[in-house]
Amino acid sequence: MVARRLEEAGLVTVSISLIREHTEKIKPPRALWVPFPFGLPLGHPDDAAEQRAVLDAVFGLLDDPEFPVLRDFGGELAEGETGTSIQAAAVEQSAVAVSLADEVTVMRRYWEQWTERMGRTAVGVSGVAPVRFRGVVRFLEAFVDGRQRTLPEQGETPLPLFIRYCADDLRVLYLEARLVMKPGEAQADTQRWFWGRTALGAFLRTLRDVMNDSDDEQMRACAYGIAR
Amino acid sequence: MPRLATLPQIQRNMLLTRAVEENDAAPRAVLSGPLAESTVAIVTSAGIHCRGDRPFGRDDPSFRVVPSTAGGADLLQSHSSLAFDKTAFVRDVNVVFPVDRLAELVAEQRIGRVGPRHYSVMGALHDVTAVRDETAPELARRLVDDGVDVVLLTPT
Repeated sequence: MVARRLEEAGLVTVSISLIREHTEKIKPPRALWVPFPFGLPLGHPDDAAEQRAVLDAVFGLLDDPEFPVLRDFGGELAEGETGTSIQAAAVEQSAVAVSLADEVTVMRRYWEQWTERMGRTAVGVSGVAPVRFRGVVRFLEAFVDGRQRTLPEQGETPLPLFIRYCADDLRVLYLEARLVMKPGEAQADTQRWFWGRTALGAFLRTLRDVMNDSDDEQMRACAYGIAR
Repeated sequence: MPRLATLPQIQRNMLLTRAVEENDAAPRAVLSGPLAESTVAIVTSAGIHCRGDRPFGRDDPSFRVVPSTAGGADLLQSHSSLAFDKTAFVRDVNVVFPVDRLAELVAEQRIGRVGPRHYSVMGALHDVTAVRDETAPELARRLVDDGVDVVLLTPT
């Protein structure tokens, strides 16, 4: 849809498609359908050769005699990939002995190794510094318990959205920590660990349930982005 | 991505009920020169933005500007969907926002240059009217002003 508007303005577009059935209906001018899971349309992380091959193929559409053109990159999902992320409902939850606050503190130590090693982090959408994530836990736990607690970083952000940003940041901190704890682990196994064996995975289910019970439509809508 | 038929039913239903514009033909712009002399920019629906920018909200039709000097350390992803696993983005932003790969293509003179800015929107919207009628035309104006010739569109 965006491709069509850009093309109408004289901009030449090439698109990557993850859902072939949608692309067939939209008919963007030039599209390449790729066999990768949601979240990685250019190919797998740290695989520059694969990403370059996708770019070669998508820019190659500029020379394709067919128009509009929808080509397949070729290949299939890699072994163990399902195309979509593993959700909480698909993972049996084990009992976790540690408290969420203590678990977050442990994860933050691993996360610090990640940031030191990589020089970057994808944590940050809430605006709360990770050294204050125990405070984020207290904020979320208070919400679940029906008590009011605030964080200055919320600012003008509506509460349902700010809760989601906090949950997103905690989840990403855990993912980065896990990359240090278990380098090379398959993404699906990381998701099974997260939803099945962490206090945060258990807490996010509870948080989702409380949000779903709210009278606030936005709160219920945001619950879908917390856990499924 | 696997065909819709291979997805779990709940996700298949969600995708089948997504707003999708149906067309019989496509508009066609003509590239005025070779790719090796063209200016390229990315427009992504992956909900990416710079650290410190306002994160995307749910069903948010607005856009964010990402300077092409931004690297992986500067970028966050506030896309609300749980359908994809953020681990890949956490490891390597190029899986969805190939800034390093484009820089390599420029160095190899396969593309002329990268535009001064990339742009980002939020995908998986329930209502695409505002993106179709307001955001996309505004992005077109900005990309033309940026001197961009070719736009690479990436989903997530």
